[in-house]
Amino acid sequence: MSDVSLPAPSVMDRLTPGTKAALLTLLVGALCLALESATEFLPVWPEAWTLPVTEWIGVSLEWLFDIIRPAMRLISAALEYPMVWVNWLLVNTPWPLIIGATVALGWYAGGLSLALMSGVGLGFVLASGYWVEGMNTLALVFVSVPLALTLGLLIGIWSNESARARPWIEATLDLMQTVPTFAYLTPLLLLFGFGPVVGLIASAIYAAPPMARNTLLGLQRVEAEVKEAGVMSGATRLQQLVQVEIPAAATQIMIGVNQALMAALSMVIIAAVIGGFDDIGWEVLLTMRQANFGQSLLAGLVIVVFAIIIDRISARMATSRERFDVRISWVILAVAIATSVLAWAALPAPGDMAVLAPTVEAVDGALTSFTRSAGATLDSIKNNAMFYGLLPLRIGLDGAVLPFTWGFSWTANMSYALFAVAGALGIAVAMTGRMAFGMCLPIIAIIVETGVSDLPWPFVLVGLGAVAWVAGGWKLTRLVVILMLLIAISGLWPRAMLSLYLCGAAVIACAVLGGLLGLLSAVSNPAWAVIRPVCDMLQTIPLFVFLIPVLMFFQIGEFSAFLAIIAYAIVPMIRYTRHGLVTTPPEMLESAVSSGATEWQIMREVRAPYAAPTILLGLNQTILYAFAMLVIAALIGTTGLGQSIYIALGAGDVGLGISAGAAMAILALIADRIVQGFAEERRRALGL
Amino acid sequence: MKSVLLSGLSVLALAGTAAAADLGDTGTPIRLAINEWTGQHLTTHVAGQILEQAGYTVEYVTAGYYNMYPAIGEGEIHAALEVWDSNVPDLYYDVLDDGGVVELGDLGLTAREGFAYPAHVEEICPGLPAWEALNDCAMQFATAETIPQGRLIDYPADWGTPGAERAAGLELPFRAVPAGSEGALIAELRASTERGTPLLMVFWQPHWAVSAYDVRFVDLPPGTPECYEDASVGPNPNATSDCDFLPTRVFKITWSGFADQWPAAAEILTAYQMMTEDQQPMMGMVDNDGMSVEEVAAAYIADHADAVAAMIAAATE
Repeated sequence: MSDVSLPAPSVMDRLTPGTKAALLTLLVGALCLALESATEFLPVWPEAWTLPVTEWIGVSLEWLFDIIRPAMRLISAALEYPMVWVNWLLVNTPWPLIIGATVALGWYAGGLSLALMSGVGLGFVLASGYWVEGMNTLALVFVSVPLALTLGLLIGIWSNESARARPWIEATLDLMQTVPTFAYLTPLLLLFGFGPVVGLIASAIYAAPPMARNTLLGLQRVEAEVKEAGVMSGATRLQQLVQVEIPAAATQIMIGVNQALMAALSMVIIAAVIGGFDDIGWEVLLTMRQANFGQSLLAGLVIVVFAIIIDRISARMATSRERFDVRISWVILAVAIATSVLAWAALPAPGDMAVLAPTVEAVDGALTSFTRSAGATLDSIKNNAMFYGLLPLRIGLDGAVLPFTWGFSWTANMSYALFAVAGALGIAVAMTGRMAFGMCLPIIAIIVETGVSDLPWPFVLVGLGAVAWVAGGWKLTRLVVILMLLIAISGLWPRAMLSLYLCGAAVIACAVLGGLLGLLSAVSNPAWAVIRPVCDMLQTIPLFVFLIPVLMFFQIGEFSAFLAIIAYAIVPMIRYTRHGLVTTPPEMLESAVSSGATEWQIMREVRAPYAAPTILLGLNQTILYAFAMLVIAALIGTTGLGQSIYIALGAGDVGLGISAGAAMAILALIADRIVQGFAEERRRALGL
Repeated sequence: MKSVLLSGLSVLALAGTAAAADLGDTGTPIRLAINEWTGQHLTTHVAGQILEQAGYTVEYVTAGYYNMYPAIGEGEIHAALEVWDSNVPDLYYDVLDDGGVVELGDLGLTAREGFAYPAHVEEICPGLPAWEALNDCAMQFATAETIPQGRLIDYPADWGTPGAERAAGLELPFRAVPAGSEGALIAELRASTERGTPLLMVFWQPHWAVSAYDVRFVDLPPGTPECYEDASVGPNPNATSDCDFLPTRVFKITWSGFADQWPAAAEILTAYQMMTEDQQPMMGMVDNDGMSVEEVAAAYIADHADAVAAMIAAATE
């Protein structure tokens, strides 16, 4: 929202886009409220206006499946071979050899620190007793990742070659990343048949987009001179690509490889829901089902260890050309082989290890005693958050204020008073020149009084459309309105609003809390040293694990779901805020220091504005993460789209699963495009 | 442990007087589904070891309970031995209608579902286990989301909403909140037991948590089929569902090609029974005493060697 206001002939021209948007939203909101009691169709999207889209999708997909199923089954059968081989190899290779080989690779790529980390990490996996399950998991990752990499590379090259296809490819990649995997598990199961191959394909679908994006980015950044050199030497397009451009883009492509590996690992647990494969994900599910926190934490940490080792080694190989003495690697490997051969009979079977059993019990016991001792405090935290925060936001003050909660009943007069106060405040603020902000106040009052889940649909539609217009012009508005209407027509509007409310609340909390933590991490190195590993763990551990303590502290319901979403979605907000704040160019800082600014002034006047686009990008990621977590939060009893996806999964209802997944992707996409629009504007304003 | 393992197989050996059959294709392993809970693991491993003793090879395949039916219909998994009628997904009936699976009769588990609470709740709401007591105690069970009603934790939404239906039928001042997952139900039980807080939930047995957390069932008005069809039956003259749950059927299913490929195995699985009183202590041995499922199943087979031999003989000779 720029504050540029040039003198112009008419009043409308003098208003900034933000002000116009807020004005329109406010008018529609006031109109809806005024007509609410008089009309039937305003408060809720009428039943008669919905179409059985869900059923149509189900029927047409099943028709399609019948046609392509034979071909898919062939692919599935073909993929099973490498899967079985890799699995056999990993499970039957003596464990000292696998540990030795990893340590040797760690040394070669990153020296002592990486070698040590690999050794300690895999030692932990061995001690946990989950070695065999862990190897099964790795087999899945090692087959799905090459698949994802090939797919991603080809998609990336294609979108680099064809400017016309690019927008469509990007939209598809967005969908691959935002439609929750749970939504397409049933279709995949029907198409590819039962077994680990379904998990493999699901994780390949999820892991391919980062590879494609990085490939495209890398190819686009190849310098013009390099390209010209190839053209001058008379190479064909293919030769040019393979021999010149791809090698030039190698570093960026390697980052894609790293990201694809991480994405595939994070999908392991979700693929386990189908079963067919005795892997770590299945173990996490079993222990989660018993609410056995200690044991599920242990199983979850095995995945974290794999993720960290794979991430650090592949990241180092991607970004640094430095390599350590390969002879030492050979020595390590030789020692491992010797141990395996000589001591094989004496070595214990990896599945029998239970060194950590006492620790596991201690962790579980600690959870129990904490729950017991802090019960009353936890309850009051939850009740306060529900009564004064979440409930009013969901069902509005008019529904949430009751004698049991606030001590009195909400009356219509209170609504009028609230609107009057908000209106007066808004006018006062607008008089000071901040028109748009002033008009937002009564809009907020309307939302809080009515509650997000009860908002009249025209208000939501116009409001979102208006924000989209400010962020990205008419084109974005058209997209947003059409997509939202699609949700409404398919009859998913009420559930979508519930999801929007829960995600919205969590994102606001993440933005405030994550922003503060990011700021703290930026100014204090010790704080970052503590926060960083926590962030790493939150991003890689299967989040199912944390549902147990959250549930024991705060019981089934929205507050638990709210916390679970925050735990996952806050990470990018912290990371990007810190990154934005610490990467301010030194020359900007120097000029501020020389002009005598205090530390705090520098933060506010120099660092923060410079970091704004980066922080907005972090917010964007936070929103996407929050939607991703919504499905998992349904396991603790939320009622939005996430639950629809589970019901569809249980009932094998392809249509409902896909359309609820698509609705969720739509909400995520809208949020993504709007925030990106604002980020783009900020970047332009900064001249970046 | 011998004392608890009296009944089981001796009963079924008498039941298993089916016609003798060929072993069939012993070269191909029979793939048995392993679902997400311990009781099912035991049921399956005991059956699997009987099949092995009869001369078959058996493979145990982990399979999601909700997603395994198409796989069974296509013969990728050959049998699932503990299917609960109370939360079988629609997908099962689709596959059954297409002729992909065959039911092999009841397993023998007497399953009970009902409104349940951990024992200490009787101190908070003294009238329990009589269901009428819930009318007066509802506020004790209230939480931020349900106030002014009490909170009743229902099954996860994908298992159906039996709690909400009965609370409505009995006009109890309770709001049913879907649990989301079985883990969530157990976590609630754990927290409630540790903290001594009130808790009312829809639960079932046999389940390991019933003994671990001393779970008790509310005495609802007797459940009869009439009560679910005729509003006038039951305490509320204007509603159905105003009574206890009907007993749940737990049954065995196989792929429809199973009996052709392994005729004797089909006979064995048809005759196979697992009783609640046998399964419950075995679950304790696995979940509380840390024994492996295979060990416990093998011990069970050893204790019932005669019955197992008779059962195999009846199917093959």
